[in-house]
Amino acid sequence: MWGGTCTEDSAWASAPAAGKWHLPVYQDFHAFDLSGATRVLEWIGDKGILVAGYESLKKNEILHLILPLRLSVKENQGLFPERDFKVCHGGFSDRSVFDLKYVPDTRLLVTSGLPGCYLQVWQVAEDSDVIKAVSTIDVCEEGCLWPRVAIFSSAAPGVLHGARLSSLKVVDLESQKTTYSSGVSDDELLSSLQVLDTDTFAFCCTSGRLGLVDTRQKWTPSENLRPGSGSAGGRWCAEAGGRGPGPSIASLGSDGQLCLLDPRDLCQPVSLVQCPVSMPSPDPELLRVTWAPGLDNCLAISGFDGTVQVYDVTSWGGMGRQVEPLFTHKGHIFLDGNGMDTAPLVTTHTWHPCKPRTLLSAASDASLHVWDWVDLHAAR
Amino acid sequence: MPEIRVTPLGAGQDVGRSCILVSIAGKNVMLDCGMHMGFSDDRRFPDFSYITRSGRLTDFLDCVIISHFHLDHCGALPYFSEMVGYDGPIYMTQPTQAICPILLEDYRKIAVDKKGEANFFTSQMIKDCMKKVVAVHLHQTVQVDDELEIKAYYAGHVLGAAMFQIKVGSESVVYTGDYNMTPDRHLGAAWIDKCRPNLLITESTYATTIRDSKRCRERDFLKKVHETVERGGKLWARWPGGAARGSSRAGLPPPLQVLIPVFALGRAQELCILLETFWERMDLKAPIYFSTGLTEKANHYYKLFIPWTNQKIRKTFVQRNMFEFKHIKAFDRAFADSPGPMVVFATPGMLHAGQSLQIFRKWAGNEKNMVIMPGYCVQGTVGHKILSGQRKLEMEGRQVLEVKMQVEYMSFSAHADAKGIMQLVGQAEPENVLLVHGEAKKMEFLKQKIEQEFRVSCYMPANGETVTLPTSPSIPVGISLGLLKREMAQGLLPDAKKPRLLHGTLIMKDSNFRLVSSEQALKELGLAEHQLRFTCRVHLHDTRKEQETAVRVYSHLKSVLKDHCVQHLPDGSVTVESILIQAAAHSEDPGTKVLLVSWTYQDEELGSYLTSLLKKGLPQAS
Repeated sequence: MWGGTCTEDSAWASAPAAGKWHLPVYQDFHAFDLSGATRVLEWIGDKGILVAGYESLKKNEILHLILPLRLSVKENQGLFPERDFKVCHGGFSDRSVFDLKYVPDTRLLVTSGLPGCYLQVWQVAEDSDVIKAVSTIDVCEEGCLWPRVAIFSSAAPGVLHGARLSSLKVVDLESQKTTYSSGVSDDELLSSLQVLDTDTFAFCCTSGRLGLVDTRQKWTPSENLRPGSGSAGGRWCAEAGGRGPGPSIASLGSDGQLCLLDPRDLCQPVSLVQCPVSMPSPDPELLRVTWAPGLDNCLAISGFDGTVQVYDVTSWGGMGRQVEPLFTHKGHIFLDGNGMDTAPLVTTHTWHPCKPRTLLSAASDASLHVWDWVDLHAAR
Repeated sequence: MPEIRVTPLGAGQDVGRSCILVSIAGKNVMLDCGMHMGFSDDRRFPDFSYITRSGRLTDFLDCVIISHFHLDHCGALPYFSEMVGYDGPIYMTQPTQAICPILLEDYRKIAVDKKGEANFFTSQMIKDCMKKVVAVHLHQTVQVDDELEIKAYYAGHVLGAAMFQIKVGSESVVYTGDYNMTPDRHLGAAWIDKCRPNLLITESTYATTIRDSKRCRERDFLKKVHETVERGGKLWARWPGGAARGSSRAGLPPPLQVLIPVFALGRAQELCILLETFWERMDLKAPIYFSTGLTEKANHYYKLFIPWTNQKIRKTFVQRNMFEFKHIKAFDRAFADSPGPMVVFATPGMLHAGQSLQIFRKWAGNEKNMVIMPGYCVQGTVGHKILSGQRKLEMEGRQVLEVKMQVEYMSFSAHADAKGIMQLVGQAEPENVLLVHGEAKKMEFLKQKIEQEFRVSCYMPANGETVTLPTSPSIPVGISLGLLKREMAQGLLPDAKKPRLLHGTLIMKDSNFRLVSSEQALKELGLAEHQLRFTCRVHLHDTRKEQETAVRVYSHLKSVLKDHCVQHLPDGSVTVESILIQAAAHSEDPGTKVLLVSWTYQDEELGSYLTSLLKKGLPQAS
């Protein structure tokens, strides 16, 4: 009921406000409850997303959801009352799904989970609403590790996968032939893989070591210095892709350190800052840092608690400084209706490909939010 | 073959017209009788020719059940009962009975007065139709006839909405109508007990959606209100379902609303409380107004239907008058001309006449103003036109009204989504699930989900297609005490875990089943009993006396036939159950004994077995 505590108010009013009028901090805010929590949010086009469950003892659902009409139409938004997601396709996975990638220009999906000795390939049906398992790709991994997955999209799509540097491979989706392999014995664990263009990909190890690889050559990645020199271990992940003139690679550590790098010179980080997180991440596998596709020098991080923080990295420079987020999404915390003792943890987030300030975030309580934040600094 | 048959009526795959025919154990029930709001011709009515083929509707149908007052569930009822012809009982809950005729009359007026339709049901037809209604209470078992009974369950969704269980003997069907599994501000959530029906019928229109939370919907509404009044505009929310009578009748004062008080009460009250709290918290000063005349009628209806609302509402009502708000006041016509920001709740809901239309005409030209439509508007009304994007409207006297004010369409209706359907299936535990109003191809995943999670079969018929479900009804049979006693006296006490074969005669008379002993049956039917008895001779080589042979036979059979009652009678004969074995000396050969094995037709199997067993000979005496 409305007569709640002031944390409920902050859903739509910034706190504290000096004046009588509270500014709304969201342009749009939609909150949904999935039947099972997801760790993946993968776009199909700009109107559909894929989510998948990760429970270990039951069948998990893989769902293809269409965004509410209200969020998709560009004009006359007011005339569209529909605020609900539509389940367009669905399928069942016996395994938990920790990674899911859509193969562009096809109707195929690739998922990875535990046990990690194979990847599952799925097909989104055309004439019905079913997502069906069609084939598997064997990978040489220990059963307890799950390989990260990224897709080289082309006429003959390739699946990049690996749990360790030593097992990093690219496999042709159709023929299942290996087209590239790292060929190294270095068994460092991987935390993220990302395809950058038709020939290059980026990897990040849990130690923070990251590199850019050109698949046209034998394994000679351009790499960074291990961040052990500045920070104290922890677990890292990374993402490339910043827009705008600044550094375009961001690396996030489980203690809240954020490192910005220029791909042309990975050995010289542009800046290393400390994000205000209350504790080290309780589950560093859920760490996520993403660049905004529609805003310059803007990124978001999650995986520490029930929030998603958005930062403007323009004019960040130097080492060790403290930074403040441009915006913090707290919806998963105060909309948690379960009354559980443990607050939910954000499992993943993603930016809308076209709407610059719209994000989607998912949490461990199976909530899924779509939110469009107001840049209060710009509004003032 | 006992079966349940379900046929959704209506033409085409369109949603929006609920009408389902169910045949259960020889009874025929029609569930809902809705109108499709999108059509203006006969396509808006269900296709009743499917049943009229079988003859008169009144003879064919045992009853009609209406789940709630929305027109897509009851809109075709007067047409069906008065123009097609049905005189049997129509069951619905009390709030539905009160509100239905108001909505039907309102709709009739729009269709006939505004759209000039002919061949539409008349006001008198609505009255005549409602005379056939029998109101039901929640959880009350209603006997439609000796065999057919129905029971209503709370469905949420709108005031008075119910889910119905239809039961004949041990077979039952549950129809959900529209329902909501999450409570809102004025209604509780749907609930049903573990009634385990053979079949659960539910709508699938929203089955493939995942609903946005109530808080976010409310937030959106409040945000729009706030932004508009902050900009200095006037905001105007209209209420669906208002019936304005007689605004065109000369000499009469402008009508006090005859707004669907309860319906308006539900949503209107919900949003009023929302605005009141928001205004208080944000310390807003813009005035909020509410249509005059609404309050008395609203309170009257409200008192009637309190059990249908949720806890919070009941508590509030006890504490104060429903419409005593700090920030919300009664509206006066003159206020429409005042400058400055304000919020007005007005009626009727679809902008087709009366106060709401008056205000609309005054405010439409200012782009700072906003109108919020909280529900569906029927084709032909101004409400429908502006929601379709029209910005130039032709009013009476060829006047053109340019609409510059912002138009917002918001949906506050409460339906169960995919999650809600799973919850309800989990509560009721049906053997089968049937989804109507969905395209089978688009629902394959949901079907699998239901089938896997609950291990039931899931059906999705198209309109006009019949689904037949085989059932295995349990038929209760009364067993005569004498027969029972006799069986128990037969010897060993029955082992509770082992099934025991007994012989009797089943008499079926007047839907009554009795199991009696054969003698009693013969007596009742006045017949003489004939007994078939088989006798077989088995020759055994045994030089001893026949009495000793009999003993040997007894010992042997006793050790072999541990499960049967083997007795050695004083006269020397051996019995196995009812089979008699007597040993006699061979007339010519003293070394041979003749065993006479005699059994009745009932014990044929055992008798044959015994004979072959004895033919194998007896074990050597130890």
